[in-house]
Amino acid sequence: MTNSWPDLQNAQAFLIAGSNCAEAHPIAMRWIMKAKEKGAKIIVVDPRFTRTASKADLFAQIRPGTDIAYLGAIINYIIEKKLYDKDYVFNYTNALFKISKDYKFEAGLFSGYDSKTKKYSTDSLSYQLGPDNKPIKTESLEDPDSVFSKLKEHYSRYTFETAEKISGIPAAKIKEIADVFCSAKPASILYALGMTQHTTGVQGIRCYAIIQLLLGNIGKAGGGINALRGEPNVQGSTDMANLVSNLPGYLPVPVNTDKDLRSYVVRNGSVQEKPIVAQLKAWFGEHATKENDYCFNYLPKTNPAVNATMVRVFELMYQGQFKLCINFGSNSLVSIPNRQMVRMGLAKLDMLVVSDVFEVETAQFWREPGVKPEEIKTEVIFLPAAFVYEKDGSMTNSGRWIQWKDAAVKPYAETKPDLDMLDAIFKRVRKLYAGSTDPKDAPILNARWDYGEHPSPLKVLQELNGYDETTGKLLPTLADYLKAPVGTVSTGCWIYAGCTGANGNLTARRNNADPSGLGLYKEWSFAWPANIRILYNRASCDINGQPVDPNRKLIWWDPVKQIWDGNDGADVPDKTKGPDTQDGRIAFRMNPEGLGRLFAAKYTSGLPTTPPADGLPPIGIRPAGLLVDGPMPEFYEPIESPTSNLLHPQVSQSPVATVLSAIPEIQKHGKAENFPYVLTTYAVVEHFCAGGITRNIPWLNELMPEPFAEISKNLANKIGVKDGDKVEVFSARGKVVVRSLVTDRIQTLKINGKDTETIGMPWSWGFAGLSSGASTNDLTIAALDPGAGTPEYKCCLVNIRRA
Amino acid sequence: MTTRKMVLIDTSKCTGCKACSVACKEWNQLPAEKTQLVMSYQSQKDFTPKTWTYVTFTEKYENNKMNWLMRKAQCFHCADPACVKACSSNAISKTESGYSVIDQNKCIGCGYCEANCPFGVPKVDQVKKKSFKCEGCIDRVENNLKPACVKTCQPGALEFGEREALLTKAKKRLAEVQKTHPKAMLYGLNEMGGTTYIYLLLDRPEVYGLPANPQIPASLFLWKDVIRPVGSVAFGGAAAAVVVGVLANVMRGAYRSKEEGETGHRKGGES
Repeated sequence: MTNSWPDLQNAQAFLIAGSNCAEAHPIAMRWIMKAKEKGAKIIVVDPRFTRTASKADLFAQIRPGTDIAYLGAIINYIIEKKLYDKDYVFNYTNALFKISKDYKFEAGLFSGYDSKTKKYSTDSLSYQLGPDNKPIKTESLEDPDSVFSKLKEHYSRYTFETAEKISGIPAAKIKEIADVFCSAKPASILYALGMTQHTTGVQGIRCYAIIQLLLGNIGKAGGGINALRGEPNVQGSTDMANLVSNLPGYLPVPVNTDKDLRSYVVRNGSVQEKPIVAQLKAWFGEHATKENDYCFNYLPKTNPAVNATMVRVFELMYQGQFKLCINFGSNSLVSIPNRQMVRMGLAKLDMLVVSDVFEVETAQFWREPGVKPEEIKTEVIFLPAAFVYEKDGSMTNSGRWIQWKDAAVKPYAETKPDLDMLDAIFKRVRKLYAGSTDPKDAPILNARWDYGEHPSPLKVLQELNGYDETTGKLLPTLADYLKAPVGTVSTGCWIYAGCTGANGNLTARRNNADPSGLGLYKEWSFAWPANIRILYNRASCDINGQPVDPNRKLIWWDPVKQIWDGNDGADVPDKTKGPDTQDGRIAFRMNPEGLGRLFAAKYTSGLPTTPPADGLPPIGIRPAGLLVDGPMPEFYEPIESPTSNLLHPQVSQSPVATVLSAIPEIQKHGKAENFPYVLTTYAVVEHFCAGGITRNIPWLNELMPEPFAEISKNLANKIGVKDGDKVEVFSARGKVVVRSLVTDRIQTLKINGKDTETIGMPWSWGFAGLSSGASTNDLTIAALDPGAGTPEYKCCLVNIRRA
Repeated sequence: MTTRKMVLIDTSKCTGCKACSVACKEWNQLPAEKTQLVMSYQSQKDFTPKTWTYVTFTEKYENNKMNWLMRKAQCFHCADPACVKACSSNAISKTESGYSVIDQNKCIGCGYCEANCPFGVPKVDQVKKKSFKCEGCIDRVENNLKPACVKTCQPGALEFGEREALLTKAKKRLAEVQKTHPKAMLYGLNEMGGTTYIYLLLDRPEVYGLPANPQIPASLFLWKDVIRPVGSVAFGGAAAAVVVGVLANVMRGAYRSKEEGETGHRKGGES
């Protein structure tokens, strides 16, 4: 979230698209309903009429995977009708920067596409640079080279009528969505996995960024782009680097070409030097010195060509790349698409260790009906885990609030908190290496690992917060970390700096005073970074530093005190630098331009104009985050689609999508002739994710006892089933039998002139547990977003018949 | 003096998460029961001795517009409750705060409450020979805690408070909701003498499977107000005749509102 849960009450309109928050994040509705009571309009776009939709003022049923088509039409409408916030676009976005003359978009492809490697070279997707290596800025949005002109030209193809043919949402309704959303200030966008689980997932979110930047909704109370993260500390685990390309605090993971710290900094900018060194100091303490490159060579390096994201891991496992898999709190056998791959992969391991609260499907994969245990050599060890309420520690919510909690009860029987298990494993492993002089064992022997004999979660949080390594004292604030010289401080996760320092454990604060009335709750827990509740809040002020919304004042420049003051902490590079300085005008300090990026151009700030005297590669300050699939979102059909791309049939699907294909006997693709219906998968409020916990709670099983397939009345008539009849749903990859749920909540859509049916299925069931049932991921496809590696759970092709 | 309490169930805010049902079972230590989907996302079909509150789901599609109506069902705690009147062993009583509660020590499981309640709320456990229903979390309320269902409700669909203040609020909210849902109404305002649990419904009560005009069965007046006082002196033939009559009607299921019997919940979605 750029904002926070309680901030939702400040919105005047919501676009909830790619999120079914009433079911997946029920507590969101507390704040949304508060806003609605104050007159906010709720727009819900979803392939089904969901429980969230039941509370909407405006609902549109969309064909799964076509969001970019209607969002592109809204972008086009905002530009054509001049609905954008001109001051905001001028001051806080890169709209006026000139794009390289080599940039092109033709017939579904951006310039720089290599059809052999199926990758883009980003050289032409860049700015025109001046002699100072800075982007050239024009005075007018109309300049044909400007970002704004490129945006305008790109989306001119996206009319409401075209979007209707692609998405199935009537043109008039798309216009109504645009009118309601664009006329409300501030307006908030909520999304979750409905938007990310596509081969174009990242680009879908980019549409949101573009819309909110054009409308001036980022950095404002009641605005923003709000990613609703999962219940089990998903935000916290992402902060701690559960993504393949990150170290904690979103530092870039070292790759196999980073031969030393300097080459890491050349690739990632000088801005990453302090955090990576602070990270190494946190992990290796006094062993990390300037002389030994702060132990940079201890860090494992990844091979970007492999890009082993979660789903790919199981493919590699099948190919024999792993001997051991330690699986904590994930029920992969139920949750991974085309899950046969998981079953086959796990059988190739020497050993599988599963830690969970219940014996989930993954922990007993050899027991699945149809599997022959005598043919599986994998040794399986189960570690019973303590439940969330049985352990101390912090959890980080979607609003970036790090919230400390104490255990409510002692762990049941012999179960243990994850930390205790990992601590015990590491200590025993280290003992096995004692006395080794082999350089490869040095990271194990030299790790700081000082959480106590009985590991203390508070000590872990303190490590994340960081220390002044010269005094051994906890860092009081993020500012103390930022101003310290490189190598003198440690932080296990630099964005957490200040959460528990000299000022006490701020994450344990429970003061719910809200003097501004804006739901900031600044003394309730601690929000990263630096307790800022609403990110980019500099953009809530005009260029002179005064709030543009008198009813929702977040921060302001106080010319008397010469400081950024306010109800929220100011998200500015330096609180003492006013709007008359360059730093005081920057709303997006994490981007190299300091601006919101309508066009995601290749650019590194601070690159010297003359090569360094030592002959080594030059070091810039901050490189831009780049997308591997183009600088602006373009609509591509899902990998399995019932139709071809109306905009460019010759490049129907994303030309850079990752489609796993190493196991052709199970990684099959279906065609619309045989599999005419679109399957979309999701969770229901009664069960969580793969159901490892919830399907073992009788009270929840009572509320949602079985999996089902939701189908329209038209489709039910066509295949001759009544509500409640069993149906067999089958794709090119597998088949399942479930109960049918015949409903008006899914309607037949008209796509490019043809009737198109959507089938909806929850995916939370498996063969084990108190409530067992067919796993929907027998049907889904292992096609991934090329940047994030997120699988396309939300659309694949299936057929259905009466069982 | 104890004041009259009220719970407002604002169905315009209910998201059908069913957390109220779990909170009820947890607080009252009621076990889960084996269920299957009844219709739409509803899994609990009716009240049982172990299910005192559940959520009904009604799908209504008209003029190309979908309405998905959710309603938390539980005892209404009527001001003039049929169950209290019908109870043969004086086990059910009204509290000053507005709750109808069953004294399990006195209950003999005769089933008159079940047969006479116009909403079909109390259910007799045939093994324990006792009648069970929502007690309004009277143990919590009397200790200044909100009922468990209200406490857990995230979208703010359930609100607990003093009757007069909450009624004023409910009427104000109704006026707001009627702007978008012209058929919206407060149900329980006058029904059964004014109930403790009052609904803000988005549509007519029949659509939700509720009787449009719930009544205390006429024979019950005869039984409780005329014959039983006499019968308690001398249990004569007339009283016995009424008892037989009541039982006969139970067999036919005639005491449920005619309207509800015909449309029922399943048909609600099509009406």
